[in-house]
Amino acid sequence: MQEKMTGKEPLLEIKNIFASTEDLTILKGVDITIQPGEIHAIMGRNGCGKSTLSKIIAGHPAYKINQGSITFKGKNIKSLEPEERAKSGIFLGFQYPIEIPGVSNLEFLRVATNARRKFLKQQELDTFEFEDLVKEKLELVKMDYAFLNRSINQGFSGGEKKRNEILQMALLNPEIAILDETDSGLDIDALRIVASGIKKIANKENGIILITHYQRLLDEIKPDFVHVMANGQIIKTGDCKLALELEKNGYEWTDQLSQDS
Amino acid sequence: MKIIDYITEEKINLSTNLSKIQNFCASKLRETPLPKSQSETWRISNKQKLSSLLEYQYDLNSYQPNIPSYLTSKKAIKINVGNANQFNLKENDWQIKELNTKEINFLIEEKIINNNSEPTWTNLLNHSLVSEENLLGIKISGENIPPLQIFCNSKINHFNAKTLILLIDEKTTVDLLQVNLGDKNSSLSLTTYVWLEKEASLNHGVISLGNGTSNLLNSLDVVQKIGSNYKLSTIQMQYDFARFEVNINQSEGGGHTTIRGMQVSNDNEQIGTYTKVVFNGPKGYLDQLNKSLANDKSHSIFDGSIIVPKNAQKTDAAQLSRNLLLSNTAKIDTKPQLEIIADDVKCKHGATITQLNEDELFYMRSRGLTFAEASKLQLKSYYKEIIDSIPVLEEGLELLNHLIN
Repeated sequence: MQEKMTGKEPLLEIKNIFASTEDLTILKGVDITIQPGEIHAIMGRNGCGKSTLSKIIAGHPAYKINQGSITFKGKNIKSLEPEERAKSGIFLGFQYPIEIPGVSNLEFLRVATNARRKFLKQQELDTFEFEDLVKEKLELVKMDYAFLNRSINQGFSGGEKKRNEILQMALLNPEIAILDETDSGLDIDALRIVASGIKKIANKENGIILITHYQRLLDEIKPDFVHVMANGQIIKTGDCKLALELEKNGYEWTDQLSQDS
Repeated sequence: MKIIDYITEEKINLSTNLSKIQNFCASKLRETPLPKSQSETWRISNKQKLSSLLEYQYDLNSYQPNIPSYLTSKKAIKINVGNANQFNLKENDWQIKELNTKEINFLIEEKIINNNSEPTWTNLLNHSLVSEENLLGIKISGENIPPLQIFCNSKINHFNAKTLILLIDEKTTVDLLQVNLGDKNSSLSLTTYVWLEKEASLNHGVISLGNGTSNLLNSLDVVQKIGSNYKLSTIQMQYDFARFEVNINQSEGGGHTTIRGMQVSNDNEQIGTYTKVVFNGPKGYLDQLNKSLANDKSHSIFDGSIIVPKNAQKTDAAQLSRNLLLSNTAKIDTKPQLEIIADDVKCKHGATITQLNEDELFYMRSRGLTFAEASKLQLKSYYKEIIDSIPVLEEGLELLNHLIN
């Protein structure tokens, strides 16, 4: 299993989490520990619980934790609202970013950025200051400023939506980012842009969880740990070679592992 | 009900010049003092609230309204219905002329007395009460006409009644914002008639803002000649009881009508919009969107009908009612209706009732916005579409913030 680094306080510690939605238990005892500076990848079949894990960490109200704990920087966050978690530095990059007609992307980003800055006791940005910041961050994901004048994600292509997620991540400067299938629906060029953006945001202080099905994202961003999930549990943890092994053997191999465990 | 007693007990101080119309309307009201409860458009109206609306003292005086800065335009010509001064504004290429009593009488008689269809109760009440001082008729003609703002208001503890007549001459284009304001504990009866001549164009905003305990009976009657363009954008909110009746008649067909309406109800309020668009000739066009937003224990009503008789071939009409329920105890009634006899037309209608979208809320909350901030952003987007379409308004953003907060 995952070998803990010593001498540092974990950023995120998930211990024996059982979680359900509408009386259906999805997570059945998940343990993960993320130290500052680490990149973790979680792989597994559709429906194995990867997205549920990401939503549980972000505080989605439709999911219930029945057992276990989630500790962020030493503090149990189980009772925190989604916005409190976000402001304190937890970011979820959505698998399917939500379209919100009529709500300006620019205004949304400014309000969100200022909510985080307020939490960090930093000066909130006025419209002009925010414009300077957002222009700088747009460079990271090679997005045009015109996207900001549209409604949130409305009329965006799949790739543009994912780039908008990474833009939000760059603006909010989170300490833990969970990116749920950020690579899905991206062509090769878009994948490189998104991966390059993530790499520029990653640093020694923050931690990243990449949820993915494919090795191709991990070719761009090398994870420190790879976890394989099946049936609501992490059944194997290893280094980046595990992803290659999975790519080679397919999910039937994980089914066998699951039965063995 | 003080107002009904005032009319039925023949206490009206008949205005000499308007006596024929007043007598006609008052005698009708004496026969039927209140709207018939079996009438389809009054069936679900709150009768208790209607009684309260009629409980104030009738006041024929006019008062200068206290207009908030976000509702005033620096560039617009401002007219207050109730200022008795005659005016005739004229430049080289345009003219705004006040109609005289004879012209006004003729127009109202055509509408109320010499008309095949029965006058509405709302208009009968208005014409029984309105004095000459509270009646304004204007004719607008020419080119490059400056934007106009027309104000009507009701005074605290009083019932005020006003009538407005607008004649827009051939090929004349006008931007007009009508602002109706209500003091707390007051009632306003307002009837507006609009005649749009051939190829005339009116971009008409109507903002009705009460004070929580205000009441409003607002009737708007529009006749469009061929080739005319009428765009109506409205917001009504903050009334204990408000009723907006809109009748649009494309009298020859071939007109272009756009309606963008929004009503917001809170607390225990009842706010209703009743629209009827009639195509009396071929090739008419309508694009209508009505939005309702109901919170707390309030009740929002939309009743919209489109009438397409046999002579209205090639009509193209669309009506959509979009409704947002913000609490489990609020109520929304919506009834979009089509009555089509012609067989070569393109007509569609629809209604949606939704609550704030939970996925959208979670998405915004996952970025650090509180539930209240996320809801406010969603509401802002709901309002914005209508506010953006209101003409003359210079401080749309300020109005939006006022409405949201």
